[in-house]
Amino acid sequence: MAEAPSEVKIEPASGGFGVSMVWIIPLIALAVALGVAWQSYSNQGPVITIEFENGTGIQADETQLKYRDITVGVVEDVGFTDGLESVEVTVRLDKDVAPFIDQSANFWVVRPEVSARGITGLSTVLSGVFIEGVWDTEIGNAATRFRGLEEPPLFRPSEPGLQIALRATANGQLTENAPIFFHGIEVGRIGKAHISPRTNFAIAEAVIYEPHDRLITASTRFWDTSGFSVSIGASGAEIDFTSLATLISGGVSFDTFVSGGERVADGTEFQVFSNEENARNSVFNASEVEELQLSVVFDDNISGLVVGSRVELSGLTIGEVQSVNGIIDRARFGDARVRLNAVLTIQPARLGLEGTPSPTTALNFLAGRVREGLRARLTSAGLLTGGLKIELVQVDDALPAAIEDLNVAVPTLPTTSSAITDAGASVEGVLTRVGNLPIEELLTSAIDFLNTAQAFVASDGLQDVPAEVTALLGDMRGFVGSDDMQNVPVALNALLGRMELILTQLEQEQLVMRLRTAVDAAAGAAEGIDGLTEDVEAAVAGLPALLTSLQGVAVKAENLPIEDLVSELTDLTKTADGVIGSDGFKALPADLSAALAEIEATLKALREGGVIENANATLASARNAADAVAGATADLPALMDRMASVLNQASSTIRGFDQGESLSRDVEAALRDIQKAAQALASLARTIERNPSSLIRGR
Amino acid sequence: MSGYVKTAREMGLVSCTRCTKVWPAGTETCGRCGKKLVSRDRKSLQRVWAWWLVGVMCYIPANLYPMLVTRTLFTTEQSTIIGGAVELLTHGAVGVSLIILFASVAIPVGKFIAIAYLAISVQRRSAASYETRQITYEVVEYIGRWSMIDIFVVAILSSLVQLNTIAAIQPGIASLFFALSVVFTMLSAQSFDTRLIWDVQGAAKGEAGNG
Repeated sequence: MAEAPSEVKIEPASGGFGVSMVWIIPLIALAVALGVAWQSYSNQGPVITIEFENGTGIQADETQLKYRDITVGVVEDVGFTDGLESVEVTVRLDKDVAPFIDQSANFWVVRPEVSARGITGLSTVLSGVFIEGVWDTEIGNAATRFRGLEEPPLFRPSEPGLQIALRATANGQLTENAPIFFHGIEVGRIGKAHISPRTNFAIAEAVIYEPHDRLITASTRFWDTSGFSVSIGASGAEIDFTSLATLISGGVSFDTFVSGGERVADGTEFQVFSNEENARNSVFNASEVEELQLSVVFDDNISGLVVGSRVELSGLTIGEVQSVNGIIDRARFGDARVRLNAVLTIQPARLGLEGTPSPTTALNFLAGRVREGLRARLTSAGLLTGGLKIELVQVDDALPAAIEDLNVAVPTLPTTSSAITDAGASVEGVLTRVGNLPIEELLTSAIDFLNTAQAFVASDGLQDVPAEVTALLGDMRGFVGSDDMQNVPVALNALLGRMELILTQLEQEQLVMRLRTAVDAAAGAAEGIDGLTEDVEAAVAGLPALLTSLQGVAVKAENLPIEDLVSELTDLTKTADGVIGSDGFKALPADLSAALAEIEATLKALREGGVIENANATLASARNAADAVAGATADLPALMDRMASVLNQASSTIRGFDQGESLSRDVEAALRDIQKAAQALASLARTIERNPSSLIRGR
Repeated sequence: MSGYVKTAREMGLVSCTRCTKVWPAGTETCGRCGKKLVSRDRKSLQRVWAWWLVGVMCYIPANLYPMLVTRTLFTTEQSTIIGGAVELLTHGAVGVSLIILFASVAIPVGKFIAIAYLAISVQRRSAASYETRQITYEVVEYIGRWSMIDIFVVAILSSLVQLNTIAAIQPGIASLFFALSVVFTMLSAQSFDTRLIWDVQGAAKGEAGNG
C-alpha cells in the first residue's frame, strides 16, 4: 500500500473519486487467467477415434496413447459405436504428433502377456493398459477414425526389416510370434499363421529385422526348430533342439548354404523344412535345376534299400533313391529272377560341373565316367542300422559297359557287385554266442561253490582248528622249552667229548709208531742178513712168515675195539633218536590235548549241570518278590484314599459333635493320632515307592 | 444498544491507525510513530473490492484443481478440497470431513460474504447496527489467518509422506490458489476502513457527512 500516503494528500484537495492503483492486480489476474485458458485451448491437439473389439482396461482420462513408449495422447472418452458393435475410444492427441497420425497409423492395446517366450507388457500390470500406436514419420492425409488391431502388428515402421512369407510343410509348426534364428541369434519374428486359401498348407508372414535382412537370399532355406527331434537313421542317432524357448513355443532357423543368391524383395515366399538336413538338401532341389533320373538294376535282391536312401559319389551325396521295386525281365536278363530296380534322382548341381548344371550335362559327365569304369553298387550306409545306400565307384577291372541309351527318360547305369559289409550280422553272431554262453549254470555253480565254502568255513570244526593249532603250538613250545629237551644237546655234547677223548687216547698210544718201529726193526734184521746168500734165501723164505705175523699184528691192530666204539656211538645216537621218535614222546601233546579236553568237558558238565538255571531261577524268584512288592505298592494309594475317606467321615462326624468340647477335644486328639498314623503310612508308602527293594532288604 | 457514538472526526481529531494516538485534525504525520494520518481513507472501498475480486478469482481454481496429489505404488490420486472431504465422509470420517469443509469452504465463503456485506453497507450508507458490523469486521479480520490451516496441513503432509516410490504426497496446484485466495481476502479485509461504518450515524442525524 505504497500508494496510500500520496492519496491522503490528494484526498483533501480533490475530495472526489480517484481510482486506486490496486485495481491493477485483479486486472493482471484476469489477464493471466485468460492467457492460460487460451494457451491450454490452443495447445490442445485434435481428437481421433479408435475402434476396438473390446475395451479391456481402457479408462477415460487415464489410459494413454504411446508412441515409442512416450505418451502422446490420453483417452478422453470410452463408448460404443452405433449398434454396440465395438468399443469406440476417443483419444486427445498431443499437438506435436497429431499431423503424423495419418492413414498409416495402427493402434493396439498393450496388455500384460505371459507366454513360453517370456512375459511382455509387465509394466501394464501396475500402470494399467495403454494404447500403443505406430505410424510412419511422414505427414500424410489426416484421418480421425481408426480401426484398432487386436494384436501388435508384426511389422512396425520403427523396426524396419524384410517382410517375407513362410510356408509350413505338412506337419510343420508356425507358432505366432515365434522367433526366427540365424546361427542361434534371433533376427526376426513370425506373425500370425493362416491357412493358405489356395491349398492346404499354412502360411505366415514374417519379418527379418534390419540389418539381418541382407542375410536372406533366394537360396536361403528355413527349417523348423520347434520342439526337439530324435532321429535314428543310417547316420546314427541325433537329438536336436535349438533353445528351451523354441522347445516350447517353436521357432524357425535359416541359413544360406550356398552363396550367390540374389537379394529378395518384400513378400517373397519361403518354405519351412522340417529339419536342417532337409533344408540343406533342398538347396539343390529341382526348384532351380531339374533332377537327373537314372535307373540301376542290381542282381542281388537285398533288403535295406529304401526310398530316400542316399546316392553318393566319392562320399558326397549327390542324390537319393526315388523308388525301389523288383523287376523280372526274361528278355533282358535271360532268366526269371527277381532283380532290384532302383530309380535314382541325381542333383546335377552337386556334381560340381563347370557351367550351368543341367540334367544333360550331368548325364554326359556320368556317361563319360561309366566308360572309364564308374559303376553303381549297393553298400552299407551304417554299421548297425543295416541301411543301404548306393555308391558310384570306380571299378578298375570292370567289364566294359556304357549307359546304353542316353535319350530315354530314365537311362540305366551299369552296376557292379555289392560291397555289403555285414557288420550287423557279425555283431549279431557275436552277441548270439555271448547269449548262448552257459552263464546261468556257471553262476549257479559258482553260487553253490561259494555257499559250500561258506558253510565249510562257518562250520564249528573249522572254526575250532585255529584254536587247536594254537594249543598244539603251545604244547610244542612247552616241550621244546622243557629242561630235559634242553639237556639233550648237553648230553650229546658230553658224549661227543668223551668220544674225542677216547680217540685222543688211541692216538697217544702211538700204535702206528710202534708198528712202524717193528717194521723198521724187521727191515734192519733183513739188512743184517743181507750178505749171507743162504741166509738170504732162508731169510727170504722166512719173510712170508714175518709178513704173516705182521699181518696178524695189523689184524690185531684192526681188531682193536675202535669199531665197537664207533658202533656204540652210533647206537647211542640211534637211541637218542629213538627216544625222540618214541610213541611216548609223541604222545605227550596228545596227553596235553586230552587234559584240555577234560577241562572243557568239565566246564560243559558244569553248564549242563544247571547251575546257571538255578541262578536264573533264583533271580526270577527275586524278581517275582519285587513284583509282589510293587503290586502291594500299587495298592497303597487305594488304601490311602480309603483312609482319607474315613478321615473325612470322621471329621464330618466330629463337626456334628462340636457342641461337647471335651468330647471334641478327645476326638481331635484321636484324629490327630490317626492322622499321624496315616502320615507315617504315607511316608512308608513313599519310601517303598521310591525304593521297593528296601522291603526285601529290611532297610 | 446503539447509542450515538461521537466520532473523532466530529471532535476534530484524527487517530493514528498504527499506534492509535489521537492527534488534532489536520496533523499530517503521527508524531509518535511517523505514520501518515488520514481521517478517512477514501479509497478504502476500492481496495477492498479489488482485493476481494482477486481473492474470489483465486478461490475458483482452488476448488476446481486438485489440492493433494497422492501417489502410491500403483496409482496416482488427485483430490480436490470438496472431493477429498466427500471421500472422507464416505469412509465414515465425519469429523475430519466436517473440519475440512468448515475450514476450507465455510470460512472463506463466509469471509467473502461478510466483506462484501460490509463494503456494500458502507456504500449504501446503511444504518444497520454499527456495533454488529464492527464486530463482524473484527471477526473476519481475526479469522482470516486461520484459513491458512489448510495450506499448513498440505505442507506438513507433503513433507512427511515422501517414501519415494511407495507413497508420496505432493501439493496440487489448488493449494497455491487457495493460499493466494486467503492472502488476498486478508488484504481485502485489512483494506477496509472501519471508521466509515460510523460516519453514517452522523448522516442519519442530519449532520453533513463527507459524502
